[in-house]
Amino acid sequence: MPDKYRGELLALKKSVTEFGRFSTGMLRDALVALRDQDTVLADTVNERKKKLAGWSDEIEEQSLRLVALYQPMGEDLRTIACINQMNTSLFRIGRYGKDIAIIVEELSDTTNLKNLKSVWHMADVVEGMIRDVLHSFDTGELTAIEELSLRDSNVDNLRYSIFRENLTYMMEDPKNITRCINYVMVARYLERCGDHACMMGEKVIFMVTGKRVEIK
Amino acid sequence: MVNLMQAEKPVIRTENLNLYYGENQVLKEINIEILPKRVTALIGPSGCGKSTLIRCFNRMNELVDTCRIEGTVTYRGKNIYDADVDYVHLRKKVGMVFQRPNPFPKSIYDNVAYGPVVHGIRDKPALDRIVKKSLEQAALWNEVCDRLYEPAMGLSGGQQQRLCIARTLAVEPEIILMDEPCSALDPIATAKIENLIHELKENYTVIIVTHNMQQAARVSDYTGFMYLGELVEFGETLQIFESPEKELTNNYITGRFG
Repeated sequence: MPDKYRGELLALKKSVTEFGRFSTGMLRDALVALRDQDTVLADTVNERKKKLAGWSDEIEEQSLRLVALYQPMGEDLRTIACINQMNTSLFRIGRYGKDIAIIVEELSDTTNLKNLKSVWHMADVVEGMIRDVLHSFDTGELTAIEELSLRDSNVDNLRYSIFRENLTYMMEDPKNITRCINYVMVARYLERCGDHACMMGEKVIFMVTGKRVEIK
Repeated sequence: MVNLMQAEKPVIRTENLNLYYGENQVLKEINIEILPKRVTALIGPSGCGKSTLIRCFNRMNELVDTCRIEGTVTYRGKNIYDADVDYVHLRKKVGMVFQRPNPFPKSIYDNVAYGPVVHGIRDKPALDRIVKKSLEQAALWNEVCDRLYEPAMGLSGGQQQRLCIARTLAVEPEIILMDEPCSALDPIATAKIENLIHELKENYTVIIVTHNMQQAARVSDYTGFMYLGELVEFGETLQIFESPEKELTNNYITGRFG
């Protein structure tokens, strides 16, 4: 097979890694904006959604093109399968960033809850999971995602505890309800992002080893 | 030994098969089991021994003077290299289709009837039935039924190849060996042969050698990858093309060499 094909496949892989940085950037900036009540930053996240969609379409187009032109097999075929899952998941993660950015705007005239720290902790855990999956995708080195399942159940527990914590704030003062309900939503988005990290992780393992595993 | 853990008995099986042309060893310790009514594909770069291997299954290699074979090839439990094996009968049961269509310079009808006549069938109505059935099975009947007595050489390449398949089917083989049957055909004729292979599987065991990996992936149930005379990996087709176990197989099917 010509080097042209290999070059195109590698370029596509690289584009997916960069797309991953872009979409997690949207999620991270939205969370920073939420923490700091920074509507200007939230605006910039919201503006990135067009680029996110265009990039995702481009990746899909390119991966279909490679299948149509070269009929990849073996590891290359598994790479394409992985890229398709990564594309869907990373697009969703970016969109959750946009959803959180919209929440920031909605909450701009409510009082911040400085004591509520667990959402930021949960965000760190989820971002770490996605970052490690992207690293494994890029390098083929799987050690970083060995514990993904454990980290994901941690994320599930955090979501539940954030829900409980917010309940107490809402009971304390009904003025907190709008903000707290939205925090519960954010925790839900982060939990979904954690699931996407696991789905991507499964496909990265499949790409590298050829074994189908289930991470839950 | 490649063991597919199937309850079914293999129809062909080789044990420690080695083949030499003079000093040159072409096949090395081949152990393979071919299951009945399945399509088995052999892939690998040029000169890896895949054609030589299928030619062992009907003793075609004996036509080469310097050829020497060690090990066994059993067909239905009997070593076909035993002294008491009638190779004319063997080649009736194990038919072959070649790379280039090679019809006889005779009519379409005579091409198909040739085998049965050689094997002693002289009854015209019986021959008519065999010719019709074989051409139908080779998906050619509708295209040639009104010109059976015209020269076979007047057919298109794809039709000639299907005629050769019909000629093979006429002597009621059990196994059909195909040595790159589509490499001289255009994509439409190729698709017809591939469909035909799929249909033949109902009644026959097909072993196909192909350079076209996508073709192997499309038509076969099992695939063997050969390299420098060795059977590197053998297994279910999907597994071979999606997640091969050997690095060498992966490198070949992803086009890193070959």
